[in-house]
Amino acid sequence: MTSSEYLYKTLRKTGLDFMVSVPCVKLGDLIAMAEKDQEITYTPVTREEEGIGILAGAALAGKRPAILMQNSGLGNSVNALCSLVSFYSLPMVLVISHRGTEGEMIKAQIPMGETTRRILEAADISHLVVYSAWDLLKAESLIDSAFRDSRPAALLLPFDFWDGGNRK
Amino acid sequence: MTTRHQAIRAIMEQVEDEIVVCNIGHPSRELFEIQDRPRNFYMLGSMGLASSIGLGLALSQPERVLVIEGEGSVLMNLGSLATIGATSPENLALLIIDNESYGSTGFQPTFTANGLSLAAVAKECGIEDSFAVSSPDEIGGLVDRIRQTGKGPCCAVIRTEKVMDKVPPLISLDAEDIKKRFMEAIRNEP
Repeated sequence: MTSSEYLYKTLRKTGLDFMVSVPCVKLGDLIAMAEKDQEITYTPVTREEEGIGILAGAALAGKRPAILMQNSGLGNSVNALCSLVSFYSLPMVLVISHRGTEGEMIKAQIPMGETTRRILEAADISHLVVYSAWDLLKAESLIDSAFRDSRPAALLLPFDFWDGGNRK
Repeated sequence: MTTRHQAIRAIMEQVEDEIVVCNIGHPSRELFEIQDRPRNFYMLGSMGLASSIGLGLALSQPERVLVIEGEGSVLMNLGSLATIGATSPENLALLIIDNESYGSTGFQPTFTANGLSLAAVAKECGIEDSFAVSSPDEIGGLVDRIRQTGKGPCCAVIRTEKVMDKVPPLISLDAEDIKKRFMEAIRNEP
């Protein structure tokens, strides 16, 4: 199985049943899997902040929602995460391709890449860096705790994850 | 012409069991004053996202969702109209109260004051049933009209006066209470 397949299997195993996405080249396979999955509600959205709003509505209806996005989109979503998701204690999962980290070829990705974890920390959002498929067991318990405690949680997926740990 | 307060009152007189999501600021406070009910979700932060919250609800459960929006808020999240047009849930209606201004912050003009038509934008985004109303009679029959059409989502722009009746009271519920009773109310049969 590929990293994307392991990850998608984990997301579904934890009961996630509602997904939206804004693309990143790294998320391509994962998005294709969500699109094909007849057992979940899935739609692309125009902007990550909009996606967080849609997930909030889904969470209010009792769904277990997730957004697939690049870390640039985390920057677009900060107010929604604080004044909607945290304020109302809504559970959701942020599946984030962490660009601007080791292996990045596009310089413009670096400032946001370096800021991403500090944004999550400042917003008090539990997160886990998933370096390889081996970390997905930990991801599972983080997702479970998000729904148990009714709060957001984020998975950060750096280049290592997509390259199956073979990059170095 | 109607005021926003009168428009919200007219909408709530027609509402039965529908889920209502309401925009941040004075509109939520007016709704709270006019008819507080467990099936109201008052959005207290995150300006721009009422229509998105409504879309998430409409895609996740079968009951009709009415979103009391504002034109300034919709202008902040125009992409939402595109996503609503693309996903086209039949149980979603946007009621955009357009007073051509940011009413909660001192009536600074919005771009609809220059003639921008959000009903036209919504139609181009694929929300076929998009239209504007302004007379008390039209507003008084709006929810019935939405119930009868029932094909695809609806976007009604309600043109209102650029005045505030009075400063509405604060909402005396905290976010957690609003959420809990709302979730419980929509989980049970109406």
